[in-house]
Amino acid sequence: MIDINNWRLSVITAALFLAACGGSNDTQVATTPPVSEKPTPSPDPSTPTDPNKFVIPPEVVAAAAKIDGDAQIKALLADQSSATAAKSRWNQFLELVKIASPSRSELRMAAEIHQRMTNEWGFSPTEVKTRADGIMYGTDVNVVDGLPVYNACVEIKGSYSSSAAAKHYNGQFPKVLVEGHIDVVNPESLPPAGDPFNKIRLQPFSQPVVETPAQLAAINDVLRFDATGRVIEDTNYGIASKVFANEAAAKDGGGVRVYVPGYGDMMSSTSNAFVLAAAMKKFKIRPVYDVWICGTAGEEGKGNLAGMKQLFGFEQDLGTGSNPLNFVSSMGLEGGGTVNFLGSYRFEMKFKAPVTPGSGDPSAPEAMAAAIAKIADVKTPSELRKDAPRTTYTVGRASCEAPAAGSGVVPSCSLEVDMRSPITETLNEVRASIVPQFQAGLVAENARYNRTEGSAQALSMEQVWYGLRPAFVLTQPNTPAIHAGIQSGLTTGTDTRTTVNTSSGSLNDNVPANTGVPTYNFTLASNAAGAGGHAFWEWGTRGAPELEVQRMRRVLTATLIQSGYHAADGTIVQPSVGPIGNRTREVR
Amino acid sequence: MNTQFLKKAACLAALTLAGLSAHAQQTGTVAVEFQGPGGHSSGNYGRTSALHAAGRAVIFLQQANLPRGSYTITNVTGGNSVNSIASDGLIELQLTAADATAYADVVSKITAAAKAGADAENAFRGVKAGDTTAGAPAHIRYTVNPGLALR
Repeated sequence: MIDINNWRLSVITAALFLAACGGSNDTQVATTPPVSEKPTPSPDPSTPTDPNKFVIPPEVVAAAAKIDGDAQIKALLADQSSATAAKSRWNQFLELVKIASPSRSELRMAAEIHQRMTNEWGFSPTEVKTRADGIMYGTDVNVVDGLPVYNACVEIKGSYSSSAAAKHYNGQFPKVLVEGHIDVVNPESLPPAGDPFNKIRLQPFSQPVVETPAQLAAINDVLRFDATGRVIEDTNYGIASKVFANEAAAKDGGGVRVYVPGYGDMMSSTSNAFVLAAAMKKFKIRPVYDVWICGTAGEEGKGNLAGMKQLFGFEQDLGTGSNPLNFVSSMGLEGGGTVNFLGSYRFEMKFKAPVTPGSGDPSAPEAMAAAIAKIADVKTPSELRKDAPRTTYTVGRASCEAPAAGSGVVPSCSLEVDMRSPITETLNEVRASIVPQFQAGLVAENARYNRTEGSAQALSMEQVWYGLRPAFVLTQPNTPAIHAGIQSGLTTGTDTRTTVNTSSGSLNDNVPANTGVPTYNFTLASNAAGAGGHAFWEWGTRGAPELEVQRMRRVLTATLIQSGYHAADGTIVQPSVGPIGNRTREVR
Repeated sequence: MNTQFLKKAACLAALTLAGLSAHAQQTGTVAVEFQGPGGHSSGNYGRTSALHAAGRAVIFLQQANLPRGSYTITNVTGGNSVNSIASDGLIELQLTAADATAYADVVSKITAAAKAGADAENAFRGVKAGDTTAGAPAHIRYTVNPGLALR
């Protein structure tokens, strides 16, 4: 048994301290850079520390205007504004979201994206930066939790690396990342190869949301796909493809709930990331720094942010990220400007039958149930005190091994717990409330049978998995990502906010933010309505395609502000971020 | 879990104990299912958990003062991922009773424990029957199915 109370705390604390101090950023760099060499901003005591207060540099404002007014960008967006392009985006989404992609088993989704990259989206094999086996060249974290990492990344090549004077980190030239995850909570495990796809079921709004999996399975109106995986444009397709402004309009206009895991979380956004990548390729958008557009693995469930840990060289046992590929900024596609990130601890605990089991022994299921029941009564700091930040938990999953044939003795049972809070103090506080309940459940069950703890006749317990999402609290809002994120909204007219979002999320961005790489979060989806995320009844209804194009316009502008851009008129928008990314550990 | 369970349920229903003598030792199985709204572990925090309800029900059953050996829990399961509130929970039990009356008493107490577990979870999260969340029922529902356990 591992002491789960102490050593992880010191790792997290160290990680947060290192992130706050910034990482080393000056190894193995060349001289005489060819373009602007603004370093990635470090915390400056003279600048405001209120996360609502920042000053967008005038050159960022000018860059946004230049990019948004650029003829080639306008041509790209005009192309995406056609009815043909809207239909193509919708069909691609349906064809991808039907692929079951459980966390850490995204290989089929990644394979489909990889083949489309080269066969349909216009990329050469050398522009595809990931492999079917999950190995990525250049990172020092290729295996997370003992499993391969099925990311799918493509590169829009910039001009910077072609200069002899370009700076680099260990041979890696600067990159801006745009990413959305490709894993989905449901189904829990990869379905058999003979029946590999999610069913996409349609239900009129006049009927209530399904209450049980059986009710969902009983819906016979489904979307159909041909042998090559293309959606068949039949009557149901026509119904599902209707566009609405919102749920009320969908109810009044004959809309349907389109039930499929991953509709909102988050293939409707991730799929459009690859639409944007293909469009950038088609219209020969040429950034200064390289831009990587990735579908990332392992965001959900026990994924442990594996995809981002590979990309950012985040070693979870150390709590540090080496940023081996030298990302200078990270643009997530799962939210609305989230820049603070909840930390989370996750535990999988196994309760094991006595070494010498027999009838009349304490029971692993009952010990686990006792632990669950005790955890279910925990009140979090925010439920106990008004001044505490919102803190949450759940026992998300439990299962038991089947007894051997002819036996009633269950060999073991396991539970998985998730706990989250925006700051380490309250996260540790809820952990201190929950973790003892594992042992308490065990002790209670052994006590019912008067068994001595640790004896061969007693139940035992083992920690089999530990998950970490490193927290990040924004203290310095003057980052290139926030500048670009806010200014891109203002310039394109797609978002008029002039302050950052002060709430906290738990996203892929936890990893780069904790590693010191600036982040901002957008969406590329347009959903009129939706609900049931993470549950069997996840559904969505198609929103206006125009919104997708507007959001592409914003993400493109924000990305190119940071990467720099060769405009159609021959001028160069210089990158708003320096060429060496931050890190909290050097590459091993 | 649920799909597999439901597929096999009809077959196993045929294996009930209806034909046994009322005075002979009675054995059988029971499956107790819980259903809740599920959701994101953080974004939907505050929703009821079907798995938490199942855990609570097991403790209520322990407190029912049934004779030792009258039931064996062969499975407690539910939920799909660590970062989701469980929308399903399942307890499977094997039962042994001296006669039909005692057997019925065990089933009755299992039913009471299931209700108590659901009620406790609903009360802890402050929801009641008829409440909804995002259009779905917010409260925990339960069913007790003699003869339907897979284990």
